[in-house]
Amino acid sequence: MSEPYRYFLIFIGAMVVYNIVLIRFIALCPLFGVSSQVETSIGMAMSVMFVMTMATTVSWLAWNYVLEPLHVGEFLYIPVFILIIATLVQFLEMVLKKVSPPLYRAMGIFLPLITTNCAVLAVATEAVKPGFLNLNVAYHFSLPEALVYTIGVAIGFGLVIVVFACIRERLETSPVPHAFRGAPIAFMTAALLSLAFMGFTNLLGL
Amino acid sequence: MDDGTTLWDEFKKGVITENALLKLMVGLCSALAVSNRLENGIFMGIAATFVLVCSNILIALIRERIPYQIRIPIFIIIIASFVTVVDLVMKAYVPVVYERLGVWIPLIVVNCMILARAEGYASKNSVAYAAVDGLGIGVGYTLVLLVMGFVRELLGTGKIILFEKTIVSLGPFNPPLIFVMFPGAFLTFGIMMALLNRYESRKKQ
Repeated sequence: MSEPYRYFLIFIGAMVVYNIVLIRFIALCPLFGVSSQVETSIGMAMSVMFVMTMATTVSWLAWNYVLEPLHVGEFLYIPVFILIIATLVQFLEMVLKKVSPPLYRAMGIFLPLITTNCAVLAVATEAVKPGFLNLNVAYHFSLPEALVYTIGVAIGFGLVIVVFACIRERLETSPVPHAFRGAPIAFMTAALLSLAFMGFTNLLGL
Repeated sequence: MDDGTTLWDEFKKGVITENALLKLMVGLCSALAVSNRLENGIFMGIAATFVLVCSNILIALIRERIPYQIRIPIFIIIIASFVTVVDLVMKAYVPVVYERLGVWIPLIVVNCMILARAEGYASKNSVAYAAVDGLGIGVGYTLVLLVMGFVRELLGTGKIILFEKTIVSLGPFNPPLIFVMFPGAFLTFGIMMALLNRYESRKKQ
């Protein structure tokens, strides 16, 4: 397998074939919580992409240069990664506030939510700890591979959350049976979307 | 608590009126992902309940010493420690289930259900109440997982396998596989919520 093709496989696999929201059920809270308007969904998707990429980079470095050489990765990775993410989010919030107020206004309200967004921790864990990922491309990601994987996941997340928001905006005005109003119909929508994404199974042999 | 609620009320509240999954809609991710088999539901329920009760007790014990500004990182570290305990114990004793639950065990750390109880309840109440609250929420979570696991495994595979023994079998029929797959989780959960809505609006009338 040539080098660029492997990156392509990792990217497509992370984005659609193993879509983080609809195929793997990670990050459902923002899907049902935030995605009632297209505009807020786009803001959320951008902030998640930003935080995720930084969190994976730092976690990868921490795992490969600190935790593994010291042989403590097995039992310290959970607290270490979550601390990295929490610190990073706090740090980003301060930097954005200082450096780019417009960007802060756009992303600011989502940043605290992202600490407890399981997607960030899941991706950081999967990018460094071998064995969790089903992708049969590579188990030990190198740093560029981990980054390609993370960006793929983030775009996949953004894609679903925006599509879902579009559907929910339409649902507001549709006649829905009484018992299904609100959350249940959102779950039905998610079921149909997930069914559609299952069509990507085995794409490119992933 | 001074307003006269008994421990039993607290327990019931967690299981029914404030059910984490069906009512508050927190902790959904793990519940939908692991409920494709009854067995997964049992282990995930036990793991989450253990973390909930332990972190609630510890946080209630030290609640007066936690500085307000950095309470969230402290809660997360406490929760992460208990999750590490679960992670290592399950890896050692039930490797098959551990493999199947995969990333969901470390993800208990960011399960909003647990952090919400730490922040909203354990940090304000005495140890006994916090423990019972954790137990109630945990049992409520586990019950929903069990119902979903039962329905999905039975409809999706036609039988229920528990600890390598088939306990229920629907006999020869071609099961709709979709129930054990991803859309089945959303479908089952949505229908459960709709049924609950309907039941409650009937009761009100």
